[in-house]
Amino acid sequence: MATPAFSRKMEASAVAQPGRPAPVRAERDPYQLRSLPHEDVFFYSKKIDNSRLVREADPRSRSACWSAIGGAGLVLVLLTGVLAPSVANTLEGYKLESLRVEQRRLLSERQVLQLQEAEMLRPDRLETLAKRQDLVTPTTEQVVHLDGKSDGTVAMVK
Amino acid sequence: MIERRLTILAAILVLWGGAIFAKLLSLQVLHHREYVQLARNREELDVAISAPRGTIADRHGQPLAMSVPTESVYVNPLKVPDLQVASTILSLVLHMDRNDLYGKMKWANDTERGFLWVKRKITFDEGQSIRNLHLDWIQIQSESQRHYPNGALAAAVLGSVDFEERGNAGIERSYDSELRGKPGRVRLLTDVNRRGIDSQMETPPRAGTPLTLTIDERLQFVAEREIATAVAAHAAMSGSVVVMNPQNGEILALASYPPYDPNDPPQAGEKSARQNHGVSVPFEPGSVFKVITLSAALETTSLRPDSPIDCHGGVLRLPGRIIHDSHTGMGVVPMATVLAKSSNIGAIEVGMRVGQPRMYDYVRKFGFGQKTGLELPAESGGKLRKLGQWGTTSLASVSMGQEVSVTTVQLARAASVIANGGLLVKPHLILKKGSQTVPLPAPVRIVKPDTAITMRQMMEGVVLPGGTGYPKARLEGYSVGGKTGSAQIYDVASRHYTHTYNGSFMGFAPLTNPAIVVVVTLNGTHGTAGFGGQAAAPVFHAVATEALRVMDVPRDLPDQTPPPQLAKKAEVDDLSIADIGSDQPNILEEGDDESETAAAGPRVPNFRGMTMRAVLATAAAQGLTVVPGGSGVARMQSPPPGSLLHEGERIRVQFVR
Repeated sequence: MATPAFSRKMEASAVAQPGRPAPVRAERDPYQLRSLPHEDVFFYSKKIDNSRLVREADPRSRSACWSAIGGAGLVLVLLTGVLAPSVANTLEGYKLESLRVEQRRLLSERQVLQLQEAEMLRPDRLETLAKRQDLVTPTTEQVVHLDGKSDGTVAMVK
Repeated sequence: MIERRLTILAAILVLWGGAIFAKLLSLQVLHHREYVQLARNREELDVAISAPRGTIADRHGQPLAMSVPTESVYVNPLKVPDLQVASTILSLVLHMDRNDLYGKMKWANDTERGFLWVKRKITFDEGQSIRNLHLDWIQIQSESQRHYPNGALAAAVLGSVDFEERGNAGIERSYDSELRGKPGRVRLLTDVNRRGIDSQMETPPRAGTPLTLTIDERLQFVAEREIATAVAAHAAMSGSVVVMNPQNGEILALASYPPYDPNDPPQAGEKSARQNHGVSVPFEPGSVFKVITLSAALETTSLRPDSPIDCHGGVLRLPGRIIHDSHTGMGVVPMATVLAKSSNIGAIEVGMRVGQPRMYDYVRKFGFGQKTGLELPAESGGKLRKLGQWGTTSLASVSMGQEVSVTTVQLARAASVIANGGLLVKPHLILKKGSQTVPLPAPVRIVKPDTAITMRQMMEGVVLPGGTGYPKARLEGYSVGGKTGSAQIYDVASRHYTHTYNGSFMGFAPLTNPAIVVVVTLNGTHGTAGFGGQAAAPVFHAVATEALRVMDVPRDLPDQTPPPQLAKKAEVDDLSIADIGSDQPNILEEGDDESETAAAGPRVPNFRGMTMRAVLATAAAQGLTVVPGGSGVARMQSPPPGSLLHEGERIRVQFVR
């Protein structure tokens, strides 16, 4: 990294006096940058070789980093643990309510079907159908009740 | 300097923190309830859960009345964007009159009503069409609608409900509070789209209690069919049939004509047409009441079925009245014959032996003059004058079933006393409430078992050859006991008895161990064909046959073919009977004159308008005996022209100048 150099006026004052023997030019500073014209500000830069510099491991920052990661993870788990049941509850709540609506709909449908069944079993309708099929009401002696067997394989006795 | 800056920064932070804290305090402490309520209003819905009305079923579980869910449409007129467009849309979908609907919505909007029913109890298709519109200003509410799947069957028992499903007649009215149930409320938590997330039951709904009746749907159908046929055949005004189990009072069928369909709302002036004629309309029973008279005689006097009773040749003079029997030749006959032939004079003689106080006592014991306690509204208790209000001839009238009004159910209960061995049971219609069987009061003994058995044997005579119920009341394979009745209907406006009848038959079968009692009444029949034995007995035959078959009652007789039906007697001339030998108005009595005898005698000629000489000559030529009265030209005669003359019977002819 270049370090700012402060101006030196030594060389400028040596060249300005006549009759004196010319001073021996000093070796140019290898870090000095070319100066700007008519400027008496000189800049110096210097490269610093850090290639042999070995970064020393900081155990405290490592542990701090892992601690931060662990803490964040823990916080995440805790938050998930707190929020997840609520989310699951809400989702299950949707399902439950839709099932309840479905249950009410099915119960209503069942009542409607029961009504239709009762209308189809109306005595006057059955009589009309029986007449169409040439069926007549049996007399008492035409009705035979079978005795049921112990294993129930025959029609039940009334 | 730095310290000053730090102080200023710290002050700012403190102020900022304080402001935050103050706001938190305001939100969570000071206005906590207000914000909770706001949140609830936004997220929660109060939903009413309707309680279905209880089902009414017959004794076998067949539903007779049930409620099914339906929907109704309503709007908030203040939130409807355009009333014209809204009324157009709704009228198209719901098949309503557009102008009428617009008028209602405009009125509601102008009067700032936030609620308006558009149409109630819509069909399923209409509901679907409304939903498919997806318009948030149309709301649908669930309701319930009552249905009677069998139409008019048992309508007089079931009754009906109004638009709010409140019972207004019959069992629906009597048990309205139990059938109705109680709606519940649920608090529903919803999301932003109003989908339900969770629900909390605040008030659970209580469904209406289902009722099981004692009615048998099949017997009810047969009873209604037969009474309708008989009313039409005899041009009667109304009719009723009661079928009852005499052992426990269960009513297996209660038919009333004319019928009505409870699915249809009542029309103006239809109130009388929806009466239950078997329960609410009393009538003078006539000769069926002789069963009570003879039962009282067996209990309180030394009379027995073979005790001789003088029928005075068919004419009996009482203070201010002359009573006639159609059988003018009946002299002294056994008491059993009084019942079989239905002799009015014989019944009066028996009643006189009983006496007023004991007759009154037994009529009350048999349940007349008071309600039976049947679970129907508007039950009539009939009418029986208090003993202190009886006139000089009231005993005679009551003995033959006049000066007393009864209902068909009361007659059924009275017949049950004879059928079950002397116990007065309570007629009832409710078998179960929910799953609980309704407890019954213990029956009360009112006559001795011997009396009941003796009465049964005498009542069998009514349906045997020579009896007034023969042959139409006979049942194939079963012994039957019964009594016919043909009471003239009294016209209150003109204050005299008309020539229309209440034809009745009251009977039970089988005789040895009666399983059913059937009482049939036809109101407003005409002529001899309208008498009990002709009009009501066939209905008894059909209903009792079906009931015994359905109940699987074993037969106690071999099958018998009924004898060929003999020619009926011509219509009795009431006026002639009433006016003979009296200057005062008579209470015209009609015995049951439809007995069919094996031997057919000569027919009575028409003597009206003939001189006495011509009458005597005509009678002599035919070998008939004529008893003339008065002088001049023949105006009235008894028996009437065309009727069959019994052996030894004489013809009375009244001559007037």
